[in-house]
Amino acid sequence: MEMGAVVVVPGREDLTAMHEVQPRTLAAFENPQPRYSSRMPILGNYVVQSWMERVRKLGVKSLWLTSALHDGSVASSALAGLARQGVERLLMIKLKSYAEIDLADLLRFHCESLSPVTEAHDARGQLGVSLLDHRAMHATGEKPEFSSTPTDQAQPAYQFNGYAKRIVSASERQELVGDALTGACAMRPLGTQIREQVWIGEGVSLADSARVVGPTYIGARTIVRAGATIGPFASVEHDCVVDCGTTVERSTVLPYTYLAPGLLIRNGLVDGGYLEHLGWGAVADLQPAGLGSRIQRRESRKKAFKETATNIFSRADSAFPWDFVPPSTAPQPWLQVQL
Amino acid sequence: MKTAWPILPFPCALSSGDRRAARKDLLSALRVSGSPVIVDFSSCPTLNHEDIDLLLECVAQVAGRDTQVLFVAGSRANRVLLEVTRISSLVMVFNSVKEALAYPQIAAEAENDIKDTEDRRANQSQRLWSA
Repeated sequence: MEMGAVVVVPGREDLTAMHEVQPRTLAAFENPQPRYSSRMPILGNYVVQSWMERVRKLGVKSLWLTSALHDGSVASSALAGLARQGVERLLMIKLKSYAEIDLADLLRFHCESLSPVTEAHDARGQLGVSLLDHRAMHATGEKPEFSSTPTDQAQPAYQFNGYAKRIVSASERQELVGDALTGACAMRPLGTQIREQVWIGEGVSLADSARVVGPTYIGARTIVRAGATIGPFASVEHDCVVDCGTTVERSTVLPYTYLAPGLLIRNGLVDGGYLEHLGWGAVADLQPAGLGSRIQRRESRKKAFKETATNIFSRADSAFPWDFVPPSTAPQPWLQVQL
Repeated sequence: MKTAWPILPFPCALSSGDRRAARKDLLSALRVSGSPVIVDFSSCPTLNHEDIDLLLECVAQVAGRDTQVLFVAGSRANRVLLEVTRISSLVMVFNSVKEALAYPQIAAEAENDIKDTEDRRANQSQRLWSA
């Protein structure tokens, strides 16, 4: 086996959701903490899925999913273990950006540079995509964890000039939403385009008096009640309820969120009962005032969501052709996904 | 700066009995006041539905009268809640009492007030001198 790939999801809590596919993925959405995760869908798309597609196009048959340590690094013992088992090159993708990068070109650059590590950069710096050869993987085994940051500054960087956007914060995520809605990047909303710059997912319920102002996306099974206004530059993800007269503009509403009647959600990201104001950086708890909450899933909705989650994660652990067993000391589980 | 504008504390985190009394005081103060009133809820860490109701009652109390009400939110989270509920489109909202007092209309009226007081004092002393 020559080439391997690993996608590193930030944060240990995400790992819990990944490990046992459906129930834990659902559990992540039940977490009441006001935190934005790069695992959340963007216009119905999972960024991890877009990276997996790029890896598949590279001819790689499977990849690993793991989570980063608190400082964003990866247990190097696991990387050294991969090298010992014959992985000659490892593509490591930290889930902190969406980048329309040509991985084949990155691989070519890496091979030509003869460097043990190649980091992809854009004008703003590291994109979180790196290629390591077996020398680098062995060398990292001597350190407790691998973090391709300051020490590797001397390595030649692969300069990427195409579209890239960091997705680690709510405001950066909103920029990506705007770009995808206006066609400034290759990401397309998951749904049917009903008119110019307006997309809706399956089973959306729109009241007659509801207004949808493009560019806008309304995710599957979302209910928009009478007098509500969605848009412009709004993304209401799947299984939400926007109650009567509420306006959502230049904002994102994450899955399974209920918004009470008559609200004005502007420049915000709402996740269940929490609202993060993108301009002020403040997080407000909507629940005590009865303004918003997490929707309890009914069985039908739960089933639909499970299917979505399964698209990405259910192939995990289906096969271990390399007989790779992560060291028992590895602080993060490694899950293999067939592409 | 000394000002005649009443600064009314907002009754949050009180027991229901105390809250009822404080609510009554707040609304009656708004009812009788002829000058701008500052309602200060900067000590409230968050707002619940009763708080939002009371803030709306405060707005309703001064609606259609010359009395102006100003809110001091204290925290950004409270400001977010006021924006979400559209209260901030009805009432001026400030981060601190100091900021509210610097609001041009209040500042101008305060200045006039101080000037009036000074004039009165000057007239008084003039009268004393002439007497």
